[in-house]
Amino acid sequence: MQNPKEPLERPMNAKKSEVLQGTLDLMILKTLHGLGPLHGFGIARRIEQISRDVLQLNEGTVYTSLLRLQLQKWITAEWGVSENNRKAKFYSITKRGLNQLELEAQNWTRISDVIGRILQLEPGSKS
Amino acid sequence: MSSPKRSKLRAFASKLCGFIGAQPPDEFDDEVQEHVQLLSERFKNQGMSKEEAAAAARRQFGNVTLLQEERRGLQTFLSIEAIWGDVRYSLRALRKSPGFAAVCIFTIALGIGAATSIFSVIENVLLEPFPYKGAERMVFPRIHNSQETGEDGRQGYTANELLEFTESNHVFDSITAAAEDVVLFKHGEGTDQLDGAHVTPGTFEFFGMPALHGRVLQPADYEPGAPPVFVMRYKTWIERFNGDLSILNTTLDLNGIPSTLVGIMPPRFGWYDADVLIPEKPRREAKGSFAESAEIWFMLGHLKPGISTYQAEADLDVIATHLAKICPQDYPARFTVRVKKLGDSVIGRFESTLYTVLAAVGLLLLIACSNVANLMLARATTREKELVLRAALGAGRARLVRLLMVESLVLAVAGATLGIFIAWGGLKALVAVMPQDFIPTESVIELNTPVLAFALAIAMLTPLLFGFAPALQCSRRDLIDPLRDTSKGIGGGFRSGWLRDAVVATEVALSLTLLIGAGLLMRSFVALREVPLGLQADHVFQAFVPLPPDRYKTPEQAAAFFRPLLARLKALPGVVAAAASGAIPPNGGDATKLQVAGKANTEDWQAMLQQASQEYFHVLRIEFKEGRGFNEVELNDARKVAVVNATFARKYLGNENPVGQRVRFASLDTLAGQGRDPWFEIVGVVDNVINNGLQSPIEPEVWIPYTIPGPGAQALLVRTSQDPATMMNAVRQAVWATDSGVALAYPGTLTDRVNEHLYAGPRFGFVLMTIFGSIGLILVTIGVYSVLAYSTSLKTREIGIRMALGAERRDVVGMVIRSGLRFVFAGLAIGIVVSLLLSQLISTQLVGVAAYDPATLVAMTLILMLTAAIACWIPARHAAQVDPLVALRYE
Repeated sequence: MQNPKEPLERPMNAKKSEVLQGTLDLMILKTLHGLGPLHGFGIARRIEQISRDVLQLNEGTVYTSLLRLQLQKWITAEWGVSENNRKAKFYSITKRGLNQLELEAQNWTRISDVIGRILQLEPGSKS
Repeated sequence: MSSPKRSKLRAFASKLCGFIGAQPPDEFDDEVQEHVQLLSERFKNQGMSKEEAAAAARRQFGNVTLLQEERRGLQTFLSIEAIWGDVRYSLRALRKSPGFAAVCIFTIALGIGAATSIFSVIENVLLEPFPYKGAERMVFPRIHNSQETGEDGRQGYTANELLEFTESNHVFDSITAAAEDVVLFKHGEGTDQLDGAHVTPGTFEFFGMPALHGRVLQPADYEPGAPPVFVMRYKTWIERFNGDLSILNTTLDLNGIPSTLVGIMPPRFGWYDADVLIPEKPRREAKGSFAESAEIWFMLGHLKPGISTYQAEADLDVIATHLAKICPQDYPARFTVRVKKLGDSVIGRFESTLYTVLAAVGLLLLIACSNVANLMLARATTREKELVLRAALGAGRARLVRLLMVESLVLAVAGATLGIFIAWGGLKALVAVMPQDFIPTESVIELNTPVLAFALAIAMLTPLLFGFAPALQCSRRDLIDPLRDTSKGIGGGFRSGWLRDAVVATEVALSLTLLIGAGLLMRSFVALREVPLGLQADHVFQAFVPLPPDRYKTPEQAAAFFRPLLARLKALPGVVAAAASGAIPPNGGDATKLQVAGKANTEDWQAMLQQASQEYFHVLRIEFKEGRGFNEVELNDARKVAVVNATFARKYLGNENPVGQRVRFASLDTLAGQGRDPWFEIVGVVDNVINNGLQSPIEPEVWIPYTIPGPGAQALLVRTSQDPATMMNAVRQAVWATDSGVALAYPGTLTDRVNEHLYAGPRFGFVLMTIFGSIGLILVTIGVYSVLAYSTSLKTREIGIRMALGAERRDVVGMVIRSGLRFVFAGLAIGIVVSLLLSQLISTQLVGVAAYDPATLVAMTLILMLTAAIACWIPARHAAQVDPLVALRYE
């Protein structure tokens, strides 16, 4: 729960959509599943690339999400060396994370189906 | 925003509660820096200037401080601020229901208070009794006869033995020793006795304790020709000299030697229980045998680091074997050296009593916890809507559990605070009933740091016991149902109150266990009181009058003191009879081997032997079964006559007429002198008089006139017609009038002495158990009542409907009582089973009553049932007064 007194910074770019709360975790899990171990910067680039600049992302929030996933033991982290020879922390998905991903993905598909159908309703029509 | 203090607290909390996988903040900083760096390089490649790129990178990354806050929130599940918020919330909530809070806090306080007070006794008496540095490595050896099973064995050594042990051992880094020295302290009015001890050089270094006033003994004090000095213990200074500091460095007459008091020790110094400590260097003696040695030393060694008691035993065994070759008569045929810790020397039987009591207090604490758990469950039900609302607004289950746990913690801490006050008062009472000679003089029973830490630890643990189940139960629930429920509902919103019932049943079981324990100890105590003493202890004044050995060597000299003294005493108003004796009940005389004329005995025949004056049996009202006591002529002529007890007659003389039989005693043979007749003629047989404790059979005992050479008389027994306690001064003046150099030692009434020796220990156990049993009963009554009152109030609507449909008041009463007694009976059944299972634990404490004594079981079950019935009846009556109309309209 957030302390209401603390200032909440909101991105002011109205053209881009905000990332829905909770979906970032799913995106990261999927990214790690698809691409194998990655560092935070790499994850941010991948999401940027996939979303084709549609999503507005404060890249720092990736790290919050990573920590959250770590605490759930869905991913693990390890120090390694990045492609340009710098020290970086690499995150990889765990077995529990794979199960969770499957579960969340199904959930997501189901909900987005429902939302999609609702949005397709013609005004005035009765189902 | 955050003061340094608070951030320190936070750091502490994050260390305390950080999950695995959490990383130190600098690592995260590295990661962030790296990321921003990469971003800005990327922007630069896209054509931005360096500054623009850096700004854009920071913008794209977002607010780092905010991130760190979030991470902290994730990692420190228990952040101090959030907990503090919960604490404030709990305080507000508790203030709104003061009755609930008061009952909870009081209940916890009773439990924690009782546990804390008993723990502090155990801490101070059993765990940390000695204030000396390295006390846990201080041991004393005893010579254990391999043919005997008991823990007996010689623990006093001659100077030769002491020196041999000191010089030849490889296991001690230092050794100290003390020898008893009865000190007669002569002052203006007369003489008093002090328990003195001769202590070896290095004694005070051994214990590592400085003097409170003045100084301790120094090496120079031990040199030959050094001015005589001594050190006094605190208690003696306070009791005998009123804590008068001006006596320091004055000269007192101790055993005829003017000695200077150079130091007063701190209160917790109690080596050898000595009033005064006098320097003495042990010296080798020409006559080295135990019997001929001038002094017998008790020694204490400090084990070298890494040396176990077994290693010490092996090492000392070698030395003792060597010593046994020099003085074979002082050692059993087969023996080993046993090494005991200093702590083991004082505790003995008291230990099991204390642990029994600790177990009882543990049960009490459990009852208190279950009571509070129950109250919380009941309260959680009324708060159900609030909690559901919180859940509906997004509070996770963990969050709700945390809130409720914090509430429990607040209650527990408040309870513990009150409990410490209860413990403080309880300790004072406890120390008053505690048998004094069971605890080492060094131990002071107080609320010290470990005890307070203990109380705090329970305060932290108890919420887990009483808070967790309620917290879990009320956080596990679907959201919609209770909100839809009309107010308090028909049967209560909870699926069922089974948990509440189970808790009360457990409570009843625990309480019954406690009560049965108390009942058994009480019966055992009553049984002990009924053991016949064989004498009338009331209206008897007793004291020791140790005669200075330099002036009183022969029985004639002793008689020249006792004869006029006894005459003086009898002339005092209020005195019925007076006698001198060798020992004071419940102790018997010294053991000796014996022979009966005309009887061959294969095994050793033994009896206790003491000397007495003719009125001894009259003063103690000991009944004669046969024959008579000594008469004045026999006493004056020192005739060899003897009175024996019934056990003696039965065991050694069989069916024959004991009067006229002749016996001789090994311990008197050497004293009889050449050519004198060693045989004594039995002139009378008396009833058995207690001489070996209440729980063991009476030993054979013999009395002979005190005018015969022997161990001699050293005690006074005076039968009075008034309160014997008032006679002390008159008796003391009579003693001093006879010989101003003789002291009246350990004066008091025989009743007090008998109580202290025989009954104090068992009484302590039973009084404590009774107190705890009663507290348990109170707690259970509260528990049964509160649960039933609560569940009945939930059923108000149901009762209203039943009555509207024609139920009679007595049906309602019956229904409520039945529902209450259901769990009471379940608890009783469990309690009986548990008591029977635990009976082995208490059986060592019991005398004359079986651990499964049916009378106790039935009586205690009935008491508990009756109390529970009353606790059920009150809510039942309330329920019966429900007006159906009001109940149905209610809310």
